[in-house]
Amino acid sequence: MRAAWRRAGRARLPRGEGPWAWLAAASISLSLLLLALLLALLATRGLGHFWPGDVTQLTLTDGRAIAGRAVKQAPLPEGGMERLYRTDNRDLDGDIWSWVPVADIEAEDRPRDLVVLERRRWGRFVGRLVAWLPAAGERREGEAAWQGLQARLATLERRREAITRLRDTTLLPLARRLEAGSDPQAARALTEARARIRVLREAMEGGTLVLESAEGRRLRLPAEEVLRARRPNAMGIGAKLAAWGDGVWRFLSEGPRAGNVEGGVWPAIFGTVLMVMLMSLAVTPFGVLAAVYLNEVAHQGRLTRLVRIGVRNLAGVPSIVYGVFGLGVFVYGLGGSIDRWFFEASLPSPTFGTGGLLWASLTLALLTLPVVIVATEEGLARIPERQREGALALGATRLEMLTRVVLPMATPAMLTGMILAVARAAGEVAPLMLVGVAKLAPQVPVDGEFPFLHLERKFMHLGYHLFDTAFHSSDVQAALPVVYATALLLVLVILVLNLTAIFLRHHLRSRHGGLSRC
Amino acid sequence: MPEASSSPLLRRRLRHGRDRLATALITAGGIGVIAAVMAIGVFLAVEVLPLFWSAGADEPAVDIASLWGPQDYPGLAEPAYRWQPTLPEGDPGPRFNLAPLAWGTLEAAAWSLVIAVPLALGAAAHSALFMSRRLRGYLKPALELMEALPGVVVGFLAGLVLAPWLERHLGLGLTLLWLMPLGVVLGGALWSRLPGTARRRLPMGWAALWLVPWLILLWALAGWLAPLLEAWWFGGDLRGWVTATLGLDYASRNAIIIGMAMGFAVMPTIYALAEDALSGVPGRLAEGALALGATRWQALWRVVLPAAAPGVFSAVMIGAGRAVGETMIVLIASGNTALFNANPLDGLRSMAASIAIELPEAAPGGSHYRLLLLAALLLFLFTFLVNTLAEVVRARLRRRYRRLGDSA
Amino acid sequence: MSIARDVAPRRGACIDFSDEACCLEVSGFGLRYGAEPALRDLTLRVPRHRVTAFIGPSGCGKSTLLRALNRLHDLNEDVHREGEIRLEGQEIHAPEVAVAELRRRVGMVFQAPNPFPMSIYDNVAFGLRLQGGLRKRRIDDIVEWSLRSAALWDEVKDRLQASAWALSGGQQQRLVIARTLAVEPEVLLLDEPASALDPISTLKVEELIRNLASSLTLVLVTHNMQQAARVSDYTAFLQGGELVEYGPTDTLFTHPRLARTENYITGRMA
Repeated sequence: MRAAWRRAGRARLPRGEGPWAWLAAASISLSLLLLALLLALLATRGLGHFWPGDVTQLTLTDGRAIAGRAVKQAPLPEGGMERLYRTDNRDLDGDIWSWVPVADIEAEDRPRDLVVLERRRWGRFVGRLVAWLPAAGERREGEAAWQGLQARLATLERRREAITRLRDTTLLPLARRLEAGSDPQAARALTEARARIRVLREAMEGGTLVLESAEGRRLRLPAEEVLRARRPNAMGIGAKLAAWGDGVWRFLSEGPRAGNVEGGVWPAIFGTVLMVMLMSLAVTPFGVLAAVYLNEVAHQGRLTRLVRIGVRNLAGVPSIVYGVFGLGVFVYGLGGSIDRWFFEASLPSPTFGTGGLLWASLTLALLTLPVVIVATEEGLARIPERQREGALALGATRLEMLTRVVLPMATPAMLTGMILAVARAAGEVAPLMLVGVAKLAPQVPVDGEFPFLHLERKFMHLGYHLFDTAFHSSDVQAALPVVYATALLLVLVILVLNLTAIFLRHHLRSRHGGLSRC
Repeated sequence: MPEASSSPLLRRRLRHGRDRLATALITAGGIGVIAAVMAIGVFLAVEVLPLFWSAGADEPAVDIASLWGPQDYPGLAEPAYRWQPTLPEGDPGPRFNLAPLAWGTLEAAAWSLVIAVPLALGAAAHSALFMSRRLRGYLKPALELMEALPGVVVGFLAGLVLAPWLERHLGLGLTLLWLMPLGVVLGGALWSRLPGTARRRLPMGWAALWLVPWLILLWALAGWLAPLLEAWWFGGDLRGWVTATLGLDYASRNAIIIGMAMGFAVMPTIYALAEDALSGVPGRLAEGALALGATRWQALWRVVLPAAAPGVFSAVMIGAGRAVGETMIVLIASGNTALFNANPLDGLRSMAASIAIELPEAAPGGSHYRLLLLAALLLFLFTFLVNTLAEVVRARLRRRYRRLGDSA
Repeated sequence: MSIARDVAPRRGACIDFSDEACCLEVSGFGLRYGAEPALRDLTLRVPRHRVTAFIGPSGCGKSTLLRALNRLHDLNEDVHREGEIRLEGQEIHAPEVAVAELRRRVGMVFQAPNPFPMSIYDNVAFGLRLQGGLRKRRIDDIVEWSLRSAALWDEVKDRLQASAWALSGGQQQRLVIARTLAVEPEVLLLDEPASALDPISTLKVEELIRNLASSLTLVLVTHNMQQAARVSDYTAFLQGGELVEYGPTDTLFTHPRLARTENYITGRMA
């Protein structure tokens, strides 16, 4: 019988897995490659921005001289390449960039005496320090001039800090108190503080630099205009590293300058963190409450299932829709009412009736509520039923069972939910554009004045800062370094938050895995 | 003595009273929170409805036809689709036609799915069935972390890095598009010709890692080939050729760029869900197919994929929902030109981006404001429906697996 | 005394096979998962067209050995193997052997029935369609023949297009056997095929196994001693990844040579 069924010439079965399996494998590889590329780009550009790279001095075939750092290279339409140099000296040239055809470069040199100055106005200066004219004393040239300048800059830095401190701790609170109502004592104190600042300011005057750009144009610059002076070509690796660390620290701790394209992002970091903290304060209790209701109290019927599906789906609703809701309900609705009831004096200029910290936090809380509910519910569902039964069998009421047995066991799940919510919120920008983020709000919303935390103020946000700097600044090329650094910072913050969530979830799994075994 | 006997009773009463109170509070609070979240749809609907029946005297009339059909506008020769809510002084009036915005939204979402779906499903298939468990333990969280990359960062890279790069290297992009798959398949063929020891050193389970250098090699090859091919076929200038021969406008920030960036952003979502669906299929099914002499790919294609099809489908639906609502990437990388044409190399403007740009400036209660809220309502309804569909399908899939588990 | 008997031939396959043709030959075979040995130095010969049963306590390696026979352990990583397995004289791990073809020749039925989520007909035709090149008519014939061979035809002939998941557990298991028969394997490996079935279904499956032995070599892993005694011609007793005793079923169950075997068979072992 068997022979009757035997087929002549069986088709050979394939040896390998065929092309599709390889394409499938390659799609993972490609994703990994792109992810690595993205992170590497952010890391190199974001961190490289602070590295005081060498400055090149070029001699061109037509005899001109240019000093600057090469930024990028592009092909010329008629063949050959041209290179973009950041030459700075906006006050002399009108532009900080120059395109140089590579073929026109006769000689490249890195003279050690090239200085790079960071100035309060006009951006950076690249060139030579010809002489240093102190307020009192001899004109100095050469190395002596450099020494004198450095000493002066250190003094200036100290005075500048003193002024900032005075302004923040004394002057501004006093001024605000005066705004609220007249107070002779405050007025006197204010005058006194102003006088002290004036004295400090005056002490900063004096001292002039004589500078010369690479093409030989001279410039006299008062010393107080200079923030920092460096000679990158003369710096050793150690000095460069120190300068790099200093740059990173300044980026993290200072406020933005020059239309956000220079300086740091401290207010944005502070705004982001504060907003996210307020959001988690709002979202965690409500999310846990809703999850406990859905999982422990509500009758597990069709309606509950529908509600659960609905809540899950809300996690997929676009964030901009939440932003619209926040604008319509929180800002115009609630905020408008609050203004009418409590801040009638200052109308029509709105207090709470415009975007602000409070409304942004609440909007994001609403946005992340489904995340917290879902994560907490998962944690609750993972707790074995016999734990609850065990507690009830000992005579515990439902409340006691919840607070003593169920909720402690679900704590890691709640934490996970909260961190996932924070990670999601930290990267969201679109809704914030509607409910309270600001392009520039150098004053952080926390200060020493009652009520200390100013919920109605606008705030800065890393994501929005990135968006705004990249797309609304007049010179995108100049803004790029700050944008890269901000993007890197944002990605790092979010990565750390997500990794924490993953770690917690893992911890949770292994803990409950152990429970179900015993 | 009555003291002693009443005290526990009292305490019990107290305990139970507290319990009842807490239960009531939790119920009220839970329902309240859920109602607050659900209120979004209601709020949008209530705010949008007046648009259709109470147009003010100075507000232009709005109805279905004027929102979606081509309109005669003063100053234009023929009826057209225009979204121009704010116009300079002296212009006849704002033009509210949602069609270009809806088109832009769908076009962006479609292109991103074109990029994301093959990548995500391929990745899911590989990691569910082929990849070594240990590697999968590392790579799956890594790919899921991609999901958390903020849209503003992806959008910035797309708009400021990818768009200019592609504009300059259009030929390279095109070469990569065909060379990559071809090279990978070739690599696979080479691999199966390798001697056994070499093959054991490069196991299929780790292919996701050791293919990376191969891809880089292919990239380098493409970089070398592209100028030659461009010179050969397109006279050395592909961009000029596209404009001259195909008659397509080339905008630096175009729908393809959006597709790539948003595809990159949406891919991890689809991957994670599809992978869960595929690896949720009981392993016995795949083993049964293997025992009949199927290759692993055949087992996947003929047994596992059909069994997991609903889950994979719902993964794609959820990805589509994300792509439709993503704001920052489109806002940054699209140029925001409200065009109504099918050219993938031209710009677009999506509903979400329009809301983000225009809503802060629109007067509350005005037509423009309500129209933007209508756009938000449409986004809400679309994503809510899509997600519900996906959720229902997934619930059915879970029941199906459970039934299979019971019969075992 | 018992010690002396326990150290008796480790390679316990010293039965006389002179009158049996050898189908599968396992020699010096060992398997490690990472550092953990699962099988150690196994040597035995599986006679053609007979039913051979592997028995032993849980974790003794009998299922591992079965899966090794059609190289399902290839799917796991970190598996190290030594020794050889020959199918009709050919080493199955040789590089020129295509795994898919090997698995067709050595079919396998798993503990829990695993029909694919498709119709009964498609389940049986699955393996045939993998090979391709067959006409519809021919597939129809083979499906019918396979279902008849698995003693399922009469129960399902009117609903071939119904979902396979609608069948009962015993029917599903016979369907899986039919599906395997359709690709004409030479060897059929059965991994506790009746452990998830009710007594009546079990009987049917056992009967089927006996009938199939006329044209196939069957290897059966079972927990159930009575089943091994009822169904098999030869029985191998494994413990701790080693082959303890191997011989004709009657002899092994009535006069085991080693005390360990006797303890296990009579249920005196923990």
